[in-house]
Amino acid sequence: MKEGKKKKPETSIGESISALGAFFVYLITGLFLAVGFWVVRDKYSVDLISDPSLTLRLLWMIEFPIVVIIFSLFRSNPKKCSYFRAVGRSIVGLISGAIINALGAVSLGAPVGMQSLPKTVHWSFLMSVFTVVPATAVFGASWTNWHRVFASLKPTGNIEYMILIPAYGAIIGGWFGAWPMPLDWERPWQEWPICVCYGAIGGYIVGQLVSLSLMIFLRKHKNLKLA
Amino acid sequence: METYLKNKKLIAIGFLLIHSIAILIFTRGFLLTRTELPFHSTCSDVSLSPCLTSPPPSNHDSNPDSISSHSNHTCWTKPVVDRVIIIVLDALRIDFVAPSAFFPEPKPWMDKLTILQKLAFANESSAKIFKAFADPPTTSLQRLKGLTTGGLPTFIDVGNSFGAPAIVEDNFINQLVQNGKRLVMMGDDTWTQLFPNQFQKSYPFPSFNVKDLDTVDNGCTEHLFPTLYEDDWDVLIAHFLGVDHAGHIFGVDSSPMINKLEQYNSVLEKVISILESHAGPGGLHENTMLIVMGDHGQTLNGDHGGGTAEEVETSMFAMSTKKHTTSVPPEFDTSSCKQNSDGKQICISSIEQLDFAATLSALLGISSPFGSIGHVNPELYALGSSNWDLEKSESGNFGTQSAVKEWMKNYVNVLCVNAWQVKRYIDVYSNSSVVGFSSDDMARISDLYAAAEQNWTNSVKHLLMDRNGDENNTNRSAFKEQIAAYLNFFSSVVELARSKWTEFNLNLMITGFGILVISLIIQFLVVFHGDKSYAVGFWLSTGAAFTLFLVTIRACSFLSNSYILEEGKVANFLLATTGLIKLRYSVMKKTMRKEAVIFLAIASVLRVSIDIGLTKQAATSQFMSSSPSWILGIALDLPALTYAIEIAPIVSVVILICVLYIAIAKTPSEGMWNEGMWKYVTVGSMISYFLIALLWASESKIFGLDGLLQVIGGRNRIPQTVYAIGLVQLFLLASARMFCAGEKKYWATRTVALVSACSSPVILLSGKQGSLLALAYLLAGYCIMRLEGVERITKLDRQNKLSKLNPLCVMQWSLLSICMFFASGHWCAFDGLRYGAAFVGFDEFVLIRQAILLTIETFGFSIILSVFGLPILLPIHSQTPQAHSQKRHQLFQMYMLFGVISATTVTATILCVTIQRRHLMVWGLFAPKFVFDVVGLILTDLLICLASAYYF
Repeated sequence: MKEGKKKKPETSIGESISALGAFFVYLITGLFLAVGFWVVRDKYSVDLISDPSLTLRLLWMIEFPIVVIIFSLFRSNPKKCSYFRAVGRSIVGLISGAIINALGAVSLGAPVGMQSLPKTVHWSFLMSVFTVVPATAVFGASWTNWHRVFASLKPTGNIEYMILIPAYGAIIGGWFGAWPMPLDWERPWQEWPICVCYGAIGGYIVGQLVSLSLMIFLRKHKNLKLA
Repeated sequence: METYLKNKKLIAIGFLLIHSIAILIFTRGFLLTRTELPFHSTCSDVSLSPCLTSPPPSNHDSNPDSISSHSNHTCWTKPVVDRVIIIVLDALRIDFVAPSAFFPEPKPWMDKLTILQKLAFANESSAKIFKAFADPPTTSLQRLKGLTTGGLPTFIDVGNSFGAPAIVEDNFINQLVQNGKRLVMMGDDTWTQLFPNQFQKSYPFPSFNVKDLDTVDNGCTEHLFPTLYEDDWDVLIAHFLGVDHAGHIFGVDSSPMINKLEQYNSVLEKVISILESHAGPGGLHENTMLIVMGDHGQTLNGDHGGGTAEEVETSMFAMSTKKHTTSVPPEFDTSSCKQNSDGKQICISSIEQLDFAATLSALLGISSPFGSIGHVNPELYALGSSNWDLEKSESGNFGTQSAVKEWMKNYVNVLCVNAWQVKRYIDVYSNSSVVGFSSDDMARISDLYAAAEQNWTNSVKHLLMDRNGDENNTNRSAFKEQIAAYLNFFSSVVELARSKWTEFNLNLMITGFGILVISLIIQFLVVFHGDKSYAVGFWLSTGAAFTLFLVTIRACSFLSNSYILEEGKVANFLLATTGLIKLRYSVMKKTMRKEAVIFLAIASVLRVSIDIGLTKQAATSQFMSSSPSWILGIALDLPALTYAIEIAPIVSVVILICVLYIAIAKTPSEGMWNEGMWKYVTVGSMISYFLIALLWASESKIFGLDGLLQVIGGRNRIPQTVYAIGLVQLFLLASARMFCAGEKKYWATRTVALVSACSSPVILLSGKQGSLLALAYLLAGYCIMRLEGVERITKLDRQNKLSKLNPLCVMQWSLLSICMFFASGHWCAFDGLRYGAAFVGFDEFVLIRQAILLTIETFGFSIILSVFGLPILLPIHSQTPQAHSQKRHQLFQMYMLFGVISATTVTATILCVTIQRRHLMVWGLFAPKFVFDVVGLILTDLLICLASAYYF
């Protein structure tokens, strides 16, 4: 019964974006990630290895607005929830998501010393932009949606694929990115959180590609069904 | 049903046996062991040998008085030098000493010790540069042991004293003391650890801090020069560490290394000038030998320990203050020559470090160590042999000829004594050692020796006795033949010893590994055997797949030394990962979120504890750099914090008592007496806990209970009581199990009784962190159980049937136990053992008792409690007998799964050790890891046997 109630507004969102639209969304977010790296390198002449905390800060500060702007367009229940409210709640989502990510990282073994605190903070903001922010912009505080998408892994509609799969991609990528850290190669990128960042960004992009192909595949599937 | 359960016990015992056999076979091939013999050589021994006990008469020596006066000081052979200065430069590569002409291209670190080259290649020189070959393991301690005992130290020398590295085997230093020589030592304090009482004077400096390049060296030079002017010593040892440390920190190609070498050059210049200024007749250093040597080489990165050419090739420079030494007949000359840039012929010889002890013993005329298997090196011996007064015949070619002959006469007798001593050692060793030499090898060696000895008694001995033997050519060839026979004997002895003590037996290793792999496959089949509904989840369930993934990734991580070093962190990472997965799952099922969060919080606490352990490990390990990532910047001397640190363990003990009380209060108290008995056993643990809390409270200053210890009679009384209670509890449990076989219910109570009985000694031995860890362990176990229950509850299994077991919970339990090992401050190295724990409650040392305590302390949390506590993971409530028997089946499968997880990681370790057996860190890192894992596996199997006897 509950499910039935929820279904209506969601299907209306799902229709609001096509695979092509998703592709453009990904293109823009990817572009801004690249812009972030470009700004860091050309304007501040640092990189992830030489100054991780500054780089990460610039990255999430550039990436965050664009993610919010795009995903707020696809907010669920757009009649009741204004665009600005969606933007506002995604700021809350950014902070709480960062806290969750930071706690997760610490429990997995991220350094907790004072000198690595800024790195951890900015890393978790970036992770939050990848994982939590799109979902808050779209779902808001609707726990059932969160639960259905993230815990039960039952997304419906393209926008939910766009939220779910890159987020999991970023987390799994970050998890694998942590593996080279203990090796004694003594490379500067083995420091926390550099390779985890690379892993997360890589996983995020892979997640985008996977979700894109999934969308295309599902649409074809649907068309076949319809036919 | 009963027969089926008996089968289960047999299965557990069967795996214990298979694993033991596999490990035994592998260990025979990999961990080379040697038995240390307690025997010592003495001067009088030599009368048993067929050799000449007094020095052979000299052709030119017409004065019998001089012989008799000499023989007072003669032990085995005639001494040829009076004093010896041994300067050890740690990690001295051969290319530091030998001229760059010997190497393909000159490098910046070559030709820095110019004074040695100048002396060695001067005309009429009495100095020589040797290329010295060390035997692996090329670590300083093992090498010093090898140099002084003249043997081949292995990774485990059976007979090692407990904890202290002092050499008990007969050795060169010991012989020196026995023969009344006076020793002075300065430099590396390893020497004083190895020889605590032998030095008359010693100036040890800590070798601990690798980053400190100068303390040891400066201390050495400060004491070296004044000592050279004194006459109250016979043998001086100076051990410089700078080059080793510079290599470890900066590598060979670095300016600190070159500075160090230049510093050594000036030190050596000064030493040699002092020696030469006192080298005149009657001078202090009239007949002194200077030896400058490395104990092992190093790679360009400054590493050493393994057996690569760079590490085993070190150098030795020897110089006698007497001029005009005898030249060695070309047959025994090992030197290789090159043209240097000036077109001059320069030669360096070669020597085995193995021969060092025997040669120096012969040079000083003392008995060589009992266990020495080296032979007297002809060239090094010749350097000192200028002592025979040959001034009379020093005219032209004939003089040299007779000098050579004179040298050969002496040398052949020295070799005779030497060969007799080596043969004696080999015989005694193969008779008394557990794993001796094979009879074929022994027969071959005996034949060689018998042939040489025959020749000796029949001809050579008479030639030596014969004072007026003038028929030069026949004599010379007879001597040469005899020397060659002896050298042949020595080389086959050394070859045999090397194959026994330094070479891995790959066939045995592969056999052992193969058996282990087969047992692993069988174990997997046993775990997944039987498609019953309550069995372990089938092959393709996500839980099983994820468990398999975790086991695989953990096993693969052992292939790299870095992951072995940070094993605790890796295990914690995986544990937290499972926690996150479970959290997601519980969020999905909308239950037990609290438990999942608590579990993650415990994982985070454990990782801080593991980090602290890692910093401790980094302080002593040469492979790790300390990473103080856990330091939060809190001043640790805050009064409130110290107060909390003092009080937290006691509080957690009190909490544990409460938990036990609740656990036994819940179970029904009515029923037969034996059900009550489990409770009484648990009450015993509560008393133990209380005693532990009392002990800690009286040790800390806060509670003002200082007087308590005096009242109850010493600080050993409480621990002993706790041990006694624990033993009584175990005895009661075992007898209750044996005599009250009827009841099968209430085994939750049984689990509580057994685990609590084991836990009190473990907590006591672990010290104050013990109770905190026990509490964390209990809480984490509870969380795992509850989280596992998520599935059971949501599946709505209402037919009193147990749902399938998710293997993930056993994996979590196993990971948790590994984290506990590291969080309790252990790591897989022998310096990670906490020897202090062996003396909790006892002051005097009894090997077996203390070894048991140390084992309990080391594996207490990680194996003993985790194996016995495995039933905690099963939910308590299920009442029907049918469910009960199903549950027992499930528990058995959990034990098998736990066993298979441990066995898989050990198999991975063994594979890794096999692959990396020539790795640089094989003795420093892989072998200790192997020993810990293997002991852990056997212990796990054994405890699984006991547990299945107890629970089924």
